[in-house]
Amino acid sequence: MTTKERMLTALSLGQPDRVPVWELAFNEESIINIGKLLTADVPPVKLAHEMTMEEKLKLLELLYKITRELELDGLTSIHLFNRKIIDADHFEDDWGRISHVDRVGDAVTVKGPVAEPSDLKHLKIVHPQENEFLMLMASIGNLGKDVAQVLFAVGPFRESWSMMGGMENLFYYYKENPQFVKDLARIATDYILEIVDKGADLGADAVAISSDLAYNKSTLMSPRHYEEYIFPYHVEIVRHIHRRGMKAIKHSDGVMWPIMDYMVEAGFDGIHPIQPQCMDIGEVKAKYGKRICIMGNIDCTHLLTTGTVEEVEKAVKDTIAVAAPGGGYILSSSNTIHPSCKGENYVAMVKAARTYGIYPLEISG
Amino acid sequence: MAEMEKLREMIINGNGKGIADHVVKLVDRGQTPGSILNDALIPAMDIVGDLYQKGEYFLPELLISARAMQRALDVIKPKLAEQGVKNVGKVVIGTVQGDLHDLGKNLVNMTLEGAGFEVIDLGVDVPPDKFVAAIKEHDPMVVGMSALITTTMPAMKETIEAITSAGLRSKVKIMVGGAPITSEYAVEIGADYYGPDSTDGKNYARDVATGKV
Repeated sequence: MTTKERMLTALSLGQPDRVPVWELAFNEESIINIGKLLTADVPPVKLAHEMTMEEKLKLLELLYKITRELELDGLTSIHLFNRKIIDADHFEDDWGRISHVDRVGDAVTVKGPVAEPSDLKHLKIVHPQENEFLMLMASIGNLGKDVAQVLFAVGPFRESWSMMGGMENLFYYYKENPQFVKDLARIATDYILEIVDKGADLGADAVAISSDLAYNKSTLMSPRHYEEYIFPYHVEIVRHIHRRGMKAIKHSDGVMWPIMDYMVEAGFDGIHPIQPQCMDIGEVKAKYGKRICIMGNIDCTHLLTTGTVEEVEKAVKDTIAVAAPGGGYILSSSNTIHPSCKGENYVAMVKAARTYGIYPLEISG
Repeated sequence: MAEMEKLREMIINGNGKGIADHVVKLVDRGQTPGSILNDALIPAMDIVGDLYQKGEYFLPELLISARAMQRALDVIKPKLAEQGVKNVGKVVIGTVQGDLHDLGKNLVNMTLEGAGFEVIDLGVDVPPDKFVAAIKEHDPMVVGMSALITTTMPAMKETIEAITSAGLRSKVKIMVGGAPITSEYAVEIGADYYGPDSTDGKNYARDVATGKV
């Protein structure tokens, strides 16, 4: 099987020849930390927007080298908004949303173009531009079509609250003005559908819809609110992804139990990352393993950051034993590979997946 | 009294429209700001917190109720000060250095204010020396720290070390919270309490204020 076939087989709930390994994302520093284990030729540690074009290309080449040498089964390319730099820590995108960037490159939207419902009348509708997909183009150009190419796109919930500069600003309208929440979701969904089309045109195999719907305790919103304000848009986006011949992955941190049935009903092919602190993967496998591909679960909060290589290997072995039988499981960290994850531990995770993840499995829960 | 009950219900149900006028009416009819706070706002927010912990309320309901409470509190705050009504206690709170997330911290702020605390919010990306300076300036009984991402967890430890180095550790109780934080981590870094959610944080601060811990 090619690496891509492995990913797509698992996403179709089939059993590939071995457990596929994939990540939703790597930060710049994480790529360099892992890359250093493979080559001395790495770019300096900087955030992408601080890098020269030459350094950016070197970083991407390093990511492709990691993908090839570790035989990763899929690679995620991020839809990168055009950014206008405001100052060292802030940028503005084409929608007029202002984001604050932290030291590892993660951005938090702090101001949006919509403060109240009347602002929708004047909102300038934005369409995704070709240059926002350079990462996907470069990945396909470099790695070819044998590796599963996953496009990372923000989901309708986050796109909506980003327009308002913060999640709480949107939540206030859940009670006050349901139509406004839906109007905003409509705008966000139309934009996401265009992103999906661009991804399909360029040759993506799957789209990962991000934006957290849950946290450590439960879902952010009630199942009733999810059903009213987000679910219809998820259904529409997933249908479109499928119509364009791709697989749909839903990413959300946290305790997703209250809305897991909706994830299946919306048609998502995969659910990621099943945080071990929040959901028991054995229970997820038992309840949903025949209906949705399970992805993730290797703890990146404590294990990959401070654990030993032996502890990582054991966690991978144990996770494969409960999540991988029969297929329908893709191994990854429990979120992303962030800079606190040790490069050695990431490599140990991938290697352990090769040791214990060959079908037919010799281990089982 | 039915009007006070109505105020409680407005907060619990998140009916913020007209709540300020209702509070003004209560004051005009002789209700003291202290009783509005202690007999309506605080009990109502306690019920909201319980509903949230039971899983009947989620973040939108919690935020909407807290906003209604805030509007009511804004009306009586100047009057509470005028009449010398003391707050339950002071809490200094902030998201630690390197971390820009504020939703969790803001929820704790609102919940604490709804329980009668004065909250000094230092914002996000707060360096250790700013926590130290705020403790010196405001003399709080509790310091709250939030971190949402794993990479910023060490900043909590650094902040506690800075508070200790400044000789202030024994003067304050320190509570921590956020997605990657656990009670084990709280113990490891020398915090006094880990709060899984805003209601737990409020309950801990209340225990400190009443001398239970």
